[in-house]
Amino acid sequence: MIRMSTRHILLGLLATGPSHGYDLKRRHDERFPQARPLAYGQVYTTLQRLVRDGLAEVDGTDSDGGPERTTYRATDEGTRELARWAGEIAPPAPFVANEIFAKVVVAILSGGDPDGYLSAQRAAHMGRMRELTAVKAAKGADLATVLSADYALNHLDADLRWMNTTAARLTTLTAEVDAT
Amino acid sequence: MTSLRADLRLAWELTRGSDRGEWWRVTLTAVGAALATGFALAAVALASLRGWYHVPVASGLLNEPGTRSGVIAGLLLLLVPVLGFLGQCARIGAVHRDRRLAGLRLAGATPWQVRRIAALETGLACLLGSAVATVFSALLLLRLWDRPTALTWAGIALVAVAVPLLGAAAGALALRRVVASPLGWVRRVAPRTGRGPGLLFLAGLLLVGAAALFALLGTSSAASNRPSIGLPLTMVGVVLAVGAGSVWLSGAAARGMGRLLAGRARSAAVLIAAERLRDDPWAAARTHAAVLLVTVVGTGFMGIREVFLDVVRSRENLTERLGYYTLGVDLTGAAVAIALAITLSGLAVGTAESLATRRRGLAAQAAAGVPRAVLGRSLLLETALPLAPAVLLAGLGGTAIGTWYALLAHRPVPWVTALVPLAIYAACLLAVATSLPLLGRSVRPGELRYA
Amino acid sequence: MSRPVPLLTAGGLTKAHGRTTALRGASVELHTGEILAVTGASGSGKSTLLHCLAGIVRPDAGSVTYDGRRLEGLPEKRLSELRRTEFGVVFQFGQLIPELTVLDNVALPLLLAGTDRAGARARAGQWLERFGVRGQEDLRPGELSGGQAQRAALARALVTGPRVVFADEPTGALDSLAGEQVMTALIHTARESGTAVLLITHDAQVAAYADREVRLRDGAVAALGVKA
Repeated sequence: MIRMSTRHILLGLLATGPSHGYDLKRRHDERFPQARPLAYGQVYTTLQRLVRDGLAEVDGTDSDGGPERTTYRATDEGTRELARWAGEIAPPAPFVANEIFAKVVVAILSGGDPDGYLSAQRAAHMGRMRELTAVKAAKGADLATVLSADYALNHLDADLRWMNTTAARLTTLTAEVDAT
Repeated sequence: MTSLRADLRLAWELTRGSDRGEWWRVTLTAVGAALATGFALAAVALASLRGWYHVPVASGLLNEPGTRSGVIAGLLLLLVPVLGFLGQCARIGAVHRDRRLAGLRLAGATPWQVRRIAALETGLACLLGSAVATVFSALLLLRLWDRPTALTWAGIALVAVAVPLLGAAAGALALRRVVASPLGWVRRVAPRTGRGPGLLFLAGLLLVGAAALFALLGTSSAASNRPSIGLPLTMVGVVLAVGAGSVWLSGAAARGMGRLLAGRARSAAVLIAAERLRDDPWAAARTHAAVLLVTVVGTGFMGIREVFLDVVRSRENLTERLGYYTLGVDLTGAAVAIALAITLSGLAVGTAESLATRRRGLAAQAAAGVPRAVLGRSLLLETALPLAPAVLLAGLGGTAIGTWYALLAHRPVPWVTALVPLAIYAACLLAVATSLPLLGRSVRPGELRYA
Repeated sequence: MSRPVPLLTAGGLTKAHGRTTALRGASVELHTGEILAVTGASGSGKSTLLHCLAGIVRPDAGSVTYDGRRLEGLPEKRLSELRRTEFGVVFQFGQLIPELTVLDNVALPLLLAGTDRAGARARAGQWLERFGVRGQEDLRPGELSGGQAQRAALARALVTGPRVVFADEPTGALDSLAGEQVMTALIHTARESGTAVLLITHDAQVAAYADREVRLRDGAVAALGVKA
């Protein structure tokens, strides 16, 4: 998966108006279901850096009856930076970082059981795909949930297809790895 | 002509590499062409005779120009069911052939090339049939006749060449839609309008009718003193009119039955049969039209036969032996029987082809638990439903001919002939039923495996 | 805790088509209300397994037991009745009769079961509505989109209230969005009515709708997935 820039996502959430840290975290988790939830500490440090770089500024504080909270808003420069980032294309898989492939090769090198590993990995992938499909196919699932589940499903499916073809060609791969 | 040779080789390779259905088509087309050639050659040989001539077969019936012309007309009329049968043969494996030729077109063959390959495929089968028939006819002719005239030989050569040429032309004509839009044809099987074949059949009918008429006039001129010429002429007219109507009638009956029953059907078999008729009423119009024609001719003939024999028996001052008259009648009867046999085989072939085309769908129905008996019943009903009113009407037409003849001869009306349409209807159902074993083989789950 | 008795059991199924062997000792169990995916490469014997389990073909060796009945002992007539009443089948395409209207196609199994025409059509209409094929009841299957036709096929398979639905690549000819709609319709209905589904697919995203996966390799079960 392409790494998401937390800075820009927070800037994007600030585009709708001033907001404080806890609210930003809640809205992030709502907007991007199935994504890794943001830690509150991460939101706080990112906001600090945005202020340092002049992309956001403190709007004020409100207590709302509870503990005092600082609200932030985007600066003009922040808005420009957000527009630039949103229009920028994401680099299509710049590095092949394939942990599964690495494990298969290591299994071959160390005389392990690559077939068994692939089989187990396949089952794990399928298990995760079933979970995501259940979330997606649940009655009343909103479109954001369906789309983000679909994104993950398609990537898992790609892994799975790669594992299927690799499992079918393990003998040749073993010969090749052992020869070099 | 290297391109023609290349096309010829391609046509041969395509036929050779194709499935059993294709070989059936080639074989049956050759048989049909042989029959057509045989009948046409007999007619041509007889027509080349002038005046009184001693012919050593058929107890002198062929000696006289008047009766001979009747035989010629009968032979030419026999061509009608043969042509219908040939048309039916062209439909065997039609879907696969259309796809294959459309594939050729997609692969870059020009429309003209595809048309030529198709024409060659049909033409070669017809050539085979016509060659065999010509050789045997010529041998038979040389045994019976010491010195055939040059005119006879010319006529024989003309027929031998014309049959394959007409076959090839029909083959090219049948594919005009495939040639026009290769892509559309590969993707879907469009419903046939059936008007094309209907018109074609009508045109062929008119042609044969006109030929019979000319043959009658030509050979009878030597005996123009006979007053009876008006009778056969009117008869040809009546038969033609009823025949032309029968094509329309069979299509209309199918559509009417389909519409009537589709909404009211209570059982699955009737529903499927009715909807299939409504969807494509012209699918079997050609074969059904031939059935109707045979019904009209057969019923009419039986009526005339009863009356005629009655007249002959009651008359004392006969110029010829009784056998002379009865043989003529029996020969006509045999011709009608042959026509019926050809028509029935056309019906059986058509049903078998319909099953073969739908075998994947039928296999899916059987897999879903639709009982084989329901599928079989709907197959029978598909023929039985539209033929019932059509045969009834055709039978009435034939009975009218017999009644009219009886009134002319002042004889009692031969009501027994009303049984003829019933017998033909039963025979048609039996012909369709011969395909039921094929249904059993079509619904094998193996058919589910291929798209 | 002992497992409940399976609704459908196959043991040691072997089946050859001419010289090619499609199944070599495949065994599988299907429980009431369970959705089971059978996956595997092309030619691994998936469709043949479905045909054997649904009583469409008789295996060369091995046995199929449905609800305590051995299928191999039943005559074709009884098998046909079983497929008509207790089972529903959905193929990639071709299970709708092209000349019948969509409504009559769905009503056909009820008509075969002896329901009167009006009643059959009324119930078929409800099922079509449930699967989102509305206003197209009087069209022929050829006039529907691929996804609509498959949903109509699902309606036909489910209209008799079967206990098992056999689906052979039901989304094979569809794009992913239409396939998703067909699968969602199938899964929701099966879950609501407690119908077991045997789903043949080569697509992992379709297999992920199932509770469990059986993977075929060269005509035998290769590995069992873990129940989610």
